[in-house]
Amino acid sequence: MIDLTRKLEILADAAKYDASCASSGSHRKRDINGIGNTEGMGICHSYTPDGRCISLLKLLLTNVCIWDCGYCVNRRSSNVQRARFKPEEVVSLTMNFYKRNYIEGLFLSSGIIQNADYTMEQLILVAKTLRERELFGGYIHLKAVPGASKELLLEAGKYADRLSANIELPSQEDLNELAPEKTVTEIETTMSDVKFGIDDSKDKAETSGGTVTFARAGQSTQLVVGASESSDATILTKAQELYNQFRLRRVYYSAFSPAADTSPKLRVRPKTPAMREHRLYEADWLIRHYGFKSHEITAGVANGNLDLEKDPKLAWALRHRHMFPVDVNRASKSLLMRVPGIGVRSVNRIVSARRFTRIRLEDLVRLRVALNRARYFVTTSDHNPDVFRLDRANLPDVFAPRLAQPSLFADVMPVSVISGEI
Amino acid sequence: MIHASVENNFESWSSAARRFLSGGVPPGQIVWTDEEQGSLFTDSPASTNSTALSVPPAFVKLAEAVSCFDDSSKWPLLYRILFRLKTENRHLLEIESDADVREARIMEKAVNRDVHKFHAFVRFRRVEVEAEELFVAWHEPLHLTVQRATPFFARRFGTMKFSILTPNGCAHWDKKTMTYSEPAARTMAPDADDTEEFWRVYYRSIFNPFRLKIKAMKKEFPVRHWPTLPEASLIPELIREAQSKGS
Repeated sequence: MIDLTRKLEILADAAKYDASCASSGSHRKRDINGIGNTEGMGICHSYTPDGRCISLLKLLLTNVCIWDCGYCVNRRSSNVQRARFKPEEVVSLTMNFYKRNYIEGLFLSSGIIQNADYTMEQLILVAKTLRERELFGGYIHLKAVPGASKELLLEAGKYADRLSANIELPSQEDLNELAPEKTVTEIETTMSDVKFGIDDSKDKAETSGGTVTFARAGQSTQLVVGASESSDATILTKAQELYNQFRLRRVYYSAFSPAADTSPKLRVRPKTPAMREHRLYEADWLIRHYGFKSHEITAGVANGNLDLEKDPKLAWALRHRHMFPVDVNRASKSLLMRVPGIGVRSVNRIVSARRFTRIRLEDLVRLRVALNRARYFVTTSDHNPDVFRLDRANLPDVFAPRLAQPSLFADVMPVSVISGEI
Repeated sequence: MIHASVENNFESWSSAARRFLSGGVPPGQIVWTDEEQGSLFTDSPASTNSTALSVPPAFVKLAEAVSCFDDSSKWPLLYRILFRLKTENRHLLEIESDADVREARIMEKAVNRDVHKFHAFVRFRRVEVEAEELFVAWHEPLHLTVQRATPFFARRFGTMKFSILTPNGCAHWDKKTMTYSEPAARTMAPDADDTEEFWRVYYRSIFNPFRLKIKAMKKEFPVRHWPTLPEASLIPELIREAQSKGS
């Protein structure tokens, strides 16, 4: 019998491969007799030396699993030590941590025990106990187990702020190779059921004037990058499709790295560079916030993979120099969004300020534009001595090797903290 | 030159600023100084607007935040912006390329960040006082943010009795109302809580030693806060272990 400390070690360790730690996007008032609320903004209560934030108590209920997904340390054939929490143990850890202000709430996932429905029921039991008995008003993220019944998913969404079914790999071919028990159809059916719950709750809220009560912070998913041969173009096309089809809030990308318990099939694969994951997050931002389509970002890149040396917006701009320079005093918002070094918020500052003043080069610094990139792509009300380089064949050299300062990893911090400006 | 002596809070400054503005006093003629006896805390929000002045709500929002910035250069800056709003351009705050606006935005951002870190880094320790549960935290904010940051804890932990002690003043919640008191010393806060060992186990286990990013961590997790966080003392050994794994 292993004690609670050891269980916590095993089941937190097993949970860390789920990158999401977001706790934003949900609004819930505290029950008058209860503890905990959500106010929309995520809070990172701590950070570990891997640069990731700790916002939620992220645990597996158990790392016992009947499935055998090659990329997963908890798969059936792996040698890791197994453990299983009692639901009460998770409830009490969550409440004790929350009352001390260590966390915003709980992110509970699980290996598959018996079958999808049974696993989902166990997750729901924890969330239900927290909400109904402990009157817990903090954030709860539950894993939506692919293949669980619609009824169970609709129950989970009553208690959870967020649900996530992980797609893991971008195509059925990849799944066949590495996760033989999983099918894209089944995972997408789960996403579709969750979307139904969200839409239904929105409709009811609109007709009755109430608030959305089902998975208020929406649903998300995660992809493993580099465990299969699939290119960034394939991954981003899939991500965009998922955003459009199921209105996911986020797609998370997790760089595959072979570990001691890695499946023999994958031991031969090289470690995925962290920069690849980083570029995918940047491209993902461009799709969600900058009006880019995935094919624009990946058209013309070598082997369908993003340039690791340059951020994808800069790389795109260098391939489309005929669209520049952009006049910051006149250009449309959507065109300003395409300028390397000008983020969404800087665009808004520019559009606001130029109603009252003419914008000069030095003003751009105060408007928080990254001039090291933007200066080659814009004209201002005064002379910009660098814009002539736009037509020079050697312009890309200006940005090599790493002048384009990478912004922090998108998964390191929740949206409230990172700027996501590229 | 006019010497304006104000307490270190928004209400005191704004009532003085209102008087100067209605008298048309230009910014260059005022020397702002902090009142020595001034309290960090005010009991009631400013209600005395005998000389009612309409300023954009955006300015009030900005000024309330900037007032918590721990540097007295905030007072002349705020008055300069207020004066320019009235005499030069009522849309001044929308021009973020303006040097005064930019400076105030930097202060506002620093204060808001401090409030955010306040919400993030308070660590309660549970004690029992006369058989009643009480949660006490010691936190060291960078700016004068006790009053701005603590209502959050009452909304969230309304059914818990708590005290947050800081070198800039303290906040006490008795499950009904918040009261504020003068600065405290760290020794007044409890130094242990049984749950901390589980928290440290969690912190150690959720860390992924195969992706060490110390700079990224320090950017959002400033070293100056580490001494008040029970998990932070693990950081050096976690980094050493990760490095020996060759990440």
